[in-house]
Parts: sequence; C-alpha cells; structure tokens
Amino acid sequence: MTTDTITTPATTTGPRTPPELRRHRPSVRTRVFRVLRQALMIAVVVVALYPILWMIVSSLRPDGHIFGNPSLVPNTFEVSNYTSGWNALGAPFSTYLLNSALVVAGAIVGNLISCSMAAYGFARLRFRFQRPAFVVMLLMIMIPIHVVIVPQYVIWAQAGLINTVWPLIVPKFLATDGFFVFLMIQFIRGLPKELDEAARIDGAGHGRIFCQILLPLMTPALATTAIFTFIWTWNDFFSQLIYLTDPNLYTVPVALRSFVDAQSQSSYGAMFAMSVVSVLPLVVAFGVGQKYLVRGIATTGGK
Amino acid sequence: MTRRRSGPRVRQETPDDKAALVFLGPWLIGAVVLVVGPLLASLYLAFTDYNLLQDPNFVGLDNFSRMLGDERLHHSLAVTFTYVIVGVPAQLVVALALAVALDRGMRGLAFYRSAFYLPSMLGSSVAIAVLWRLIFGQAGLFNGLLGAVGIDTSTSWIADPDTALWAIILLHVWTFGSPMVIFLAGLRQIPREFYEAASTDGASPWRQFRSVTLPLLTPIIFFNLVLAIINAFQSFTQAFVVSGGTGGPSDSTLFYTLYLYQEGFGAFRMGYASALAWLLVVIVGAFTLINFWASKYWVHYDD
Amino acid sequence: MRTTTWSVRAAAAAGTLALTVGLAACGTAEGSGGTELSGGDVDLRVTWWGGDARHERTQEAIDAFEEKHPNIHVTGEFADWTGYWDKLATSTAGGNSPDVIQMDQLYLASYADRGALADLGALPQLTTSGLDDPVLGMGRSGDTLYGMPVSTTAFGLLVNQDVLADLGIELPDTDTWTWDEFDAFARSVSEKSGGRTVGITPWNNEYSLQLAARQAGDELFADGDVAIDPATLEQYFQRALDWTKDGAAQSASQFAEQASASLDQQDFATGKTAMIFSQVTQLTAYAAAAGGANVTIAALPADGADGSGYQYLKPGMYWSVSARSAHPAEAALFVDFMVNDPQAGAILGTERGLPANPEILASIADGLTDDEKKAVDYSDSLAPQLGDAPEIVPNGASETDTLILRYLQDVLFEERTPAEAAEGFIDELRSAVDAAK
Repeated sequence: MTTDTITTPATTTGPRTPPELRRHRPSVRTRVFRVLRQALMIAVVVVALYPILWMIVSSLRPDGHIFGNPSLVPNTFEVSNYTSGWNALGAPFSTYLLNSALVVAGAIVGNLISCSMAAYGFARLRFRFQRPAFVVMLLMIMIPIHVVIVPQYVIWAQAGLINTVWPLIVPKFLATDGFFVFLMIQFIRGLPKELDEAARIDGAGHGRIFCQILLPLMTPALATTAIFTFIWTWNDFFSQLIYLTDPNLYTVPVALRSFVDAQSQSSYGAMFAMSVVSVLPLVVAFGVGQKYLVRGIATTGGK
Repeated sequence: MTRRRSGPRVRQETPDDKAALVFLGPWLIGAVVLVVGPLLASLYLAFTDYNLLQDPNFVGLDNFSRMLGDERLHHSLAVTFTYVIVGVPAQLVVALALAVALDRGMRGLAFYRSAFYLPSMLGSSVAIAVLWRLIFGQAGLFNGLLGAVGIDTSTSWIADPDTALWAIILLHVWTFGSPMVIFLAGLRQIPREFYEAASTDGASPWRQFRSVTLPLLTPIIFFNLVLAIINAFQSFTQAFVVSGGTGGPSDSTLFYTLYLYQEGFGAFRMGYASALAWLLVVIVGAFTLINFWASKYWVHYDD
Repeated sequence: MRTTTWSVRAAAAAGTLALTVGLAACGTAEGSGGTELSGGDVDLRVTWWGGDARHERTQEAIDAFEEKHPNIHVTGEFADWTGYWDKLATSTAGGNSPDVIQMDQLYLASYADRGALADLGALPQLTTSGLDDPVLGMGRSGDTLYGMPVSTTAFGLLVNQDVLADLGIELPDTDTWTWDEFDAFARSVSEKSGGRTVGITPWNNEYSLQLAARQAGDELFADGDVAIDPATLEQYFQRALDWTKDGAAQSASQFAEQASASLDQQDFATGKTAMIFSQVTQLTAYAAAAGGANVTIAALPADGADGSGYQYLKPGMYWSVSARSAHPAEAALFVDFMVNDPQAGAILGTERGLPANPEILASIADGLTDDEKKAVDYSDSLAPQLGDAPEIVPNGASETDTLILRYLQDVLFEERTPAEAAEGFIDELRSAVDAAK
C-alpha cells in the first residue's frame, strides 16, 4: 500500500455513514460548506439540464419559431412535430429505434465479453510480446477513423457484409475498442492481487479467477463499459452512415440527420421531436444502469 | 504496462502464454485483421498521392515535405494544442470535483448523477450546434446575462475568431459526464474503512481527499488523463457541428482531425490525410509515452 | 461464441488483403454490364442527399418507376449533404458505389475525370435532346456527358418585402441599377432600422463569384484550370468588405455566425437581413423559413454589363451513373424516367429545383405555388440575356465553395486584405487543381 499518510484501516463497526456526519456537532464551517456545495450542485444541474429542456420545448414549437428563441417557456404545443417526425422518413421512426437497439445490444455484449477478457490478459498475465501488444492496443485509440475507414470498408466489402450490421458489431466482439480494454486494465490493477493469489493457492485456474473473483468485483467498470457503449454507439453517426445503405437498416443518428439539409428547407421541429424521442432510451439506460456503477468492492466487504 | 513485479511475491517462472492466447484471442484477431491491416494500409498511403477514386502512386516523402510549408496545418496544430492544454485539465478537474462531491453521501445523489451526465448523452448532435449558437451567439443567452450585469456587448462568441475556440472548449468541459462517471466508479473501489479511519483520526474532508482519495484514485486519474489527451487531440465532432464542418471563422476552430478530414474527404487528398494521421499518431504517442513514464512517479498500483 | 467463429471466416477472407488493403478495390475498372437492357431481374441502387421532403417524393417516384418496369428493383439510399459525400467517396473507393448517383457541380469533374462515372452519351436509354444545350453542356467534363442536369436555377437578389414594408422603405427600380445604387439602398435599410435589420448578407459562393467575374468580362475557370484575374477576385472581396464596414451588411462575426448554419437559421431567413444574393429556387425555402414572408426577386446590380450575357442558368444538381455499375442500361433508364417522364415530373415537382427539361417544367406549371412561379418568371425574364455556359468546376476544385467562404471571412475579419485574399485563394485553388491533373 502506497498511501503512507493514513493509519491502518479499522474494522468497520456500526452502520456506514458519511464521515462528516460523525462529527459531534457540525461546525459553522462545515455547515457553510454544505450549503455552498448544495448551491453549486443546483447551479450545475441548471447548466446541465437546460439543453434537454430547451430541446423538449423546441420540439413543441412550429418550424420557424425555434431559432432565436432560447426561452424555456413552452408557449406552443405543436404535437404534430412528433406525429409528422415519426412518419417522415419512409419507415416509421420505430424502425430506426429498433435498428439502433440491435446494434447497441450487440455492441454491449461484445465489448463486455471481449474487452474484459483482453483486460485480464493485459493486467494479470505475463506473456511474450506483451509490450508490443499493448502499444498496438493504444495505437487503435490514437489513429483517426477517417484514414482507416476506407481500408476497413474494403475488408467488409470483400467479405460481402456492407449493408449489414456486422461491421458495427463484430469489431466489438474482437475488442477493438481500446478505450474499454484500457479502462478495465486500470480497474483490475486497482484490485488487490492477494485475491488472485489466494484463489490460485486453492487451485483455481485463470478462467475461474477471472469469472468468479475478478468479474464480480469489476461491476463498476463493467457498468461503465455497458453504459458508455450504449451511449456512444447510440450516437455514433459516421460508421453507421458508411456501412448501412438500405434506409430500412438506418439507425437513429443517420435518420436524424435526414431531417436537416443545409441547402433546402428542413424540418427542425420534427428533428427536435425525434431527438427527444431518441434521447429517452439513453436516459432510461443510464437511470437503470447507474446503480451498478456504485456496486463493487465497497459493497462486497473490501479486503 | 508490463511493469516489473516488485517485492517478494509468488514468482511465476513460466509465462502465461497459453492463457494469454485464450484471453487475448478475440483481441488478437481484431487487432490483426481490423486494425493492423488498415493501419499499415494508411501508413503506405501516406507515401502516395491516393485520391480515393484512383490507384495510388508512390510519391516518396512528398506528403511529409508538404507539411513543412502548410500554414493551415501549423495553424490547426496551434488550435489543437490550445484545446488540449486548456480543455483537458479543465474538464477533468470539474469531473473529479463533482464526482468527489457526489460520492460523499449527498441527498439526491442518483438525480444529480443522471442530470450531470445528460450533456454527454446528447452527443454532438445537430441540436447541440443550434443550441450553442443560441447561447453564445450575438443575440444569445450569454450576452443577455452579461447585459444583466451591466456589460453590453454584441460579440458573437461563437463566431469571433478570437473567442470561437473558447466556446468549443466550454462545450468540451460541459460534457464532463464521461470522466465523472469513471471517477465515480473508481471512488467506489476505495474501501470505506480508509475514510472512517481517517475520520476517526480527525482528518478534515480536504485532508481525507488529499491523503486517501487522491492516492487511491491515481490509476483512474491516470486513465482519464491519458484518454482525455488522446481524445482531445482527435476532437472532431464538436468543432464539426458547431462550425458546419469549416473549422471557421477564419480557421479559428480548425482542429487537427477536422483539417485531416477536409483534406481527405473534402479535397480527395487521402494520401496527404494519411500522412497527417501518422504525424498525429507520433504526437499523441509522444504525449502518451511521457504520460506513462511520468506515471511511475505518481500513480499507485496495488501490485 | 458464434460470432467469433463467424468472424474467423471473415478474418481469413480479409487476412489475405491485410497488407494490400485499400489498393485491392480502388481501381476504377469499367462496369461489366452492357449498354443493353437485360430483361431479367435487376437491382439498382440510387442515392441522393436532401431533407425529408425529398426522400418522400423520390421514393414515390421510385415506386412509379418500378411499376412501369416490374423487373427492375430500385433501392433508394439517402443522407444529408455532408454525410452523403463522405459515404459516396468511401463506397466508391471500396468499389461499391451505387448505380445512380445524385451529383453536384462542385464534384462532377472530380468524380468524372477520375473514372468513377459512366459516359451517359453511350447509353441510348437516356434521352438528352429535351434539354437546352447550354444546360446540358454543364453536365459535361471535356466533351463527355457525365451528369444529366436535373434542375436549373438562376441567380438573383432575393428581397424580403415584409422587412422593407415594416421599415417603410421601397425598393428602387432594380431593372438597370448599378452597384453604387445597390450599395446606397442596402445602407439605407440598415440606417432606417437602426442596425436591427441590415441591407445585405455578403455573397459567399461559387455561383456569385462566377457572375461577378462574368460581369467584369472575366471567368473563374478556363481549360480545366483557374483563370480568374486576381483584380476581379479582389473586387469581389472588397465589395463584401465595404458592405460590412459601412453597415450595409451585418458585422463580420454576425455574418460568420450564420454562414455555417443551415438555410433556416441564416439572417435572411430570420428577417435580420433584407436582401441576399441567392439561387432563386431557394426562394420557397427562405420564404417558408421566414414564416411565409413575401420574398421577391430583383435583378443583380450591374455596371453597364447588361446585354453582355453574363447571366447563365446553372444545373441545380445532376443524375450520374457509376462507371462500375453492373446495369448501366437500367440505370440510364431510371435517369431518363426521373428527368424526362411527365409522371415523375408531377411527383417530384420543384423539390429539386425547376426541372431542367422545359417540357416537364411546362407540364407542372399549373400546379406551381406563387413562390415557385416567381422563380420561373425570373428565369424566363433572363432568357434574352443568357450567355454561354461557363466551364464547370474542374477536377480537384471541389472545395471551391468552402475556399471562398474561408478567404471571405479572412477579409471580413481583416486578417487579410482583399488583394492578399485574392492571391491566396488563387494559389490554393490552382495547386489543388494542378495536383489532381
């Protein structure tokens, strides 16, 4: 342990309460601190919530009354934006939501399996070419997509898989998202090694150590991966645009851009309405997923 | 990453090559087929005049010598460095501060966490571009606020070459949700007992933060820092949507990858764009190396 | 994991490519299909950019085409303007481009001269005789027809009459007005409104530059190269700078703020500018965005250039056929339907601009809205003074529009003088064209 400034952890007794509540009597300083903190939080909430509220209000305004109106007061209820937006693009908007959901589901499963396995390999195993392998993994994160998209497209075209969801899902099962591999490596390295070694002494192999010891402790990292994969894949425009050509396979971000054309009249009201619709799954996913962000070593008893 | 093991731990004489092959198998396939292939292809194209539509011709170092006199490239480097140097620390400090505040027993924690993450969920959609114009435009909210406190200005913050970059840096800081969530997950791995011990010793919240939180969080801080720098160098979408793909006004928001994209896809100079990509890899790689080197002195791993 | 075993197969297939990737498929071999209709079942892919109104109408036209030709199955693929070109470039590079491609003048030569487009003249299924020669000429690169013009537009001055009426100002006689008269009028708008509404949004695209050059007896491109005199270009930039400085136009930063926005958010659409130089076919969109404002079209100011034939009609967009299409004959048949068939004309209306085929335009004339009629009338009124078509944007110059905007902004923000900007613009554009040769 490298934290030399603290004393040995004491055994836990009694209910876990935030440390500052344990003080016998909150000092004036503490109370001021708490009020300030709450005020700051509320200010940040306002800044963070403003855009989504504005989007909702704008989605209820008729075209032509959206721009130049930053107000949050909903003075019109143009529900027709929702009905017309839902049906504006050939297929009902549910098609795009479902397509996106399919891609997202595949991506999440793929990332969870492949990235956690790769991370275990990097963090806990010692093998030949480990350093070059790690460098390659980082290179994957560093190269701009715009110069590898054409070679990658050629590969998928040769495999005859353009206009399918495979180019969007298969890479996730192959751990090409270096971000998450690296994320989980850092989490695994934060877990006490004694756990592994105790299990090894009990005769557990790598498979068991990984599945039974580390994975349960990695819940926050896995939840982070799932949530981020959800949100980033849901919002990923470029690769979905490139690989999906049949409008019946279009995903939400591709469809959303189709409302707006820089050179002609655009349906901004419909675009905002469908933007609101398409943010909802994200909000729900985050709301559901966030409780897993906080489970982990803290709730499993520590070491 | 293959840090030499220290201390009298259990020694493994045989490397885990076999297990590594299992755990890293999917990753290896992905790396070889989907990453190394396209990477080598782009490296080769960097020495050609590839224009996307015709066979590339080998042109030696032409693309690299062109970089020397390319004023827009030099300008985009300046823009990008400013963004990295200001935007990354600003975003991480905000994310860390809020994560710590949220971690420590707050009323309405789940609500705050979701609210704070909202801006990151919206992605860089067209709606955000419209919104940012509404806030930082000439007749925007921001000028309204300034007017309310007696500063009358008609600056369009988003369209003045002197301030446009700062409006985008602010947009970057505003999407602090992702690093915040990662910090939160990391904070949850810190055993509560440490805080309780420190608290019993009468350590102030600030001192607890300094002596417990920060040291134990360093692997996650390190992760966020490395990834934030890599991502900031590749920053594309925000400037793209806000400036309509131009990097304007007067190239004041011409991020490196935006320039690369304009060269590759706008002007069909994919050979040059590939060369630019590799220059970026060298720059980002250097930053990452420095980061890893420096991490020895401040990141604490439990191994 | 099923997916993994599956991807192993993909990996094996692709592994052989790993090193030569990017080169394998980017050759631009001629399409394998013949120029005869096959009679058998044929799948065609058609792609276009646009907003949702375009997608709906085009799909309807596709349905009508399929009904006429039951053996041809057409899949429409659409995207927004920026995404469209990224996708088209990638799929063309990957040897997988759609059969029928909506094309823009900025990119026509860049694709055609690099062998990506089929020679439409060699496809007898497409009738081109219905189009006027100057218009058709702008579908050619060299002497070969690569793009079938879909629509045409003229260029004029759009005027928001509601804004003028609010200010109590009347438009002077615009039939023969000079640039000085125009400048003075634009200034008067700004003065009268106290700066709330300004007279003009500075020009910033290729069409306006072409016309400004032609008024000066100059031209932007000749013999596939940049031909404009730096002095002409300097004057173009200088004029915009003068408008900005003397208040006839909005401030530089306000101009920049709206220049990167879509049409709906531009100052002219929101009523902050009274006039804008524009393709007249955008009148409908502007008027709608401005909440149904009364927008009219005035002639461009000119200093004694009337009668010199500086005006020309520009194809709004084209249909092209991929050089790698397996079914060029069917593709040409589809293009023919979209451009020459009255049924398609009735479905498509003026959504892509005024139909390039005069017969089709005549056939839908009765159904035009008032705003659309204004654009038609203006185009008709230009007929006597139309000159030869200019050379289209050459190979390598696809960024002409963005270059104009970038240098213009440098001028407006006074980071370059108009003379410096003219020189820089020409250098940059010329080297792009040279590099593509």
